This record gives sequence, structure tokens and C-alpha cells, in this order.
Amino acid sequence: MTRLVEIAVPDEVRERACAGEEGARQLIYAEVAPATFALIRRLVGNRSAAEDVFQDTMMILFERLREFRQEAPLGAWLRQIAISRCLMYLRSPWRRVLVCLEGGDEIGALALARPTTAAPAPEAIDLERALATLAPTARTVLWMYEVEGYSHAEIAATFGRSVSFSKSQLARAHLKLRAWFEPQGNPPTCTLS
Amino acid sequence: MHTELEHQQALARLLRELPDDAARPYDWREFQRRAQAAPAAAARVAGLRALAAVIVITLAVLATAIRLGAGPRPPHPPAAPVAADNAVVTAAGGDASRAEREDTAARYWLERLPREPALVHVGTRSAVETLEDHIAQVDDLLTTERAGSAPTERVRVLQQERAQLVSSLVQVRYAETLADASR
Repeated sequence: MTRLVEIAVPDEVRERACAGEEGARQLIYAEVAPATFALIRRLVGNRSAAEDVFQDTMMILFERLREFRQEAPLGAWLRQIAISRCLMYLRSPWRRVLVCLEGGDEIGALALARPTTAAPAPEAIDLERALATLAPTARTVLWMYEVEGYSHAEIAATFGRSVSFSKSQLARAHLKLRAWFEPQGNPPTCTLS
Repeated sequence: MHTELEHQQALARLLRELPDDAARPYDWREFQRRAQAAPAAAARVAGLRALAAVIVITLAVLATAIRLGAGPRPPHPPAAPVAADNAVVTAAGGDASRAEREDTAARYWLERLPREPALVHVGTRSAVETLEDHIAQVDDLLTTERAGSAPTERVRVLQQERAQLVSSLVQVRYAETLADASR
């Protein structure tokens, strides 16, 4: 699957979509939807909540398509919208109530529910489970930094926090994942000092 | 340090290689259907949230009313002794009446206190995260100051601050241990 940040849409298709042509919008949807949903699913965890956030994100995309200034690929712009919507969801008190009632996120079930023909690699399943043990904030920071390639300054700006916040969240996530993969080895040393 | 870096690089590689096959979104028709249904659903959710808010507020008001009105109402501080005191003060120097007035006021204050002590359980997660963030900030500053050959006085102050933060963190952890043991 192509990374969301690398997905570009031809100007002609975008202009037709801005004009409200359904066929062009459908083309854009087909191009960006899989990567967008995959990112949202990673950050949000719960599938039904991810679908809600995804729906919001795609509606915002089509509503604000005229505001896109082409300074970066459309996917990069959409990624920013998607992450912003995910953070809004993760911060909402409504979501916290749901997590209490339903007993947590579903990220750990991702690997087990995968409908692929090939068997998933054991380390992938382990990593999915380990990711599920992280707090949503730490998981989001980890994903944004290690996979999406955001800098600490960009993450801090997205969260409205300090650079130190981003660094400490990342260090905490690494520490926890390392403890997960090396439960009987040497205890991990604190990376803060 | 080298091992730590290797671990981070390996983890980043594994994360990037995670498959996304399970995360398939719905198709365009379903997106359109949901887009058309969104205003009605939003209105329904807003209605439910408003209802929940009203219920919570009502319960809070009821709980407050029960809390304040459950026990016998404390007597109002008597107005008469004040007037009487003036006369007594004039007549006999006021020592006995002052003691009596203080006694009445103390009793009145004690009776206004809640009948049951209120116990508030506060989680330590927020405190721990704040302390850890502060420690990380101080570490950043220390690294910067050392790299820029800052005056030793400034470095010493930062080190002291860090030691205090670590000490606070240890105390919070110790309190957590005690609380766990007492459960």
C-alpha cells in the first residue's frame, strides 16, 4: 500500500472534484481511502470509532478541497487532517467513557483478524499486541515519529505541547515496547538521563 | 547507548513493515450513504449527550442537596448573646462572657463540619507524567548547557532541580507502593 503522504492526485481530477463532479470525487476516494483508513485505524484502535473518524476526515477533505494549495501532495495535506481528527477523538471525554465501558482498544485484535491468505509473521502479531499495551498518546507519538516521519517539533506543535513532551512520550513508548520484547533480559535502562 | 539505538532502528523498521490488510475502508457508495445520514445521526448523538448532561447535573444537584440537608441542621449562632455580652462586658469586665462566646462560636463551627469525613482518591498517573516531562525538559536543558560550555553555576542549579524532581518522583512511587499495600 502506498504511504498516504506520497499520494498525489492529478490537478485535472482535483479541479473536477472541486466543481462537484461525483466521478472525480470517487477517483480521489479510491486513491486515498485505504492509506487514510489504515493510518486512522492505527492511531484510534477501535474499528467502529476509526470508521467514524475516517468518515469525518473524508467529508472534511471534500468540503475543503478548494483550500488545498498544492504545496505538498494531496496525501500529505489529508494526513494532517486525519491526524488532527484522531487527536480530537482521543482527547474527547466521550471516547474515555466508551473505553471504560468497552474495555479498551482493539489494536491487539488487528493481527488476529487479518483476512489475508498468507499467515502473519509472528513478530508482527507480537508487535500489534505490544502496540495495544501503549497509552493512545504514546502510541500516536511513536507512530508519527517512527513511521510517518514527523519531527519532535512537528509532533509537539500538533499536540500543542513542548518538544520535551514528544521526546518523553517516545522514550516511554520505546521503554515499554522493549520491556515487552525482552521480558527476561536485562531491565531496560532509563533513556532520560 | 549503541544497543539502544539499534533497538530503536529495529523497532522503527518493524513498525513500517506492519501489514495494513485488515484496515480496509468501506467503499464509495457506503461513504455517500453515511455522508447523507450524518446530519441526522449527529443530531441524535447531540440529543443523547444533552440528555446525559441533564441527568448528570440533576444527580449532582440531588446529591448536593442530600449532602447538605441530610443531618440535623446546625443551630444558627445565637444573636442574643452578642447583645447580652455588651451588657456583661460593661458590668463585669467580660472575661466569662468572652469565653462563653468563643465556646459558642467553636461549637457552631464544629457543627457545620460534614458529619462524615470525605475521602478523595486521586490517581498518580498525571503527577508521574508531569514529573517525567519536567525531568526530560531539565535533561534537555542540561545537555544544551553542557554542549555550550555554560557556567558551572547554571549547570549546578539545573542538577539540583533535577535531583529534586527525581526525589519527588520517588516519593510519588513510594506513596503508590504504600497505597497498593494497604488495599
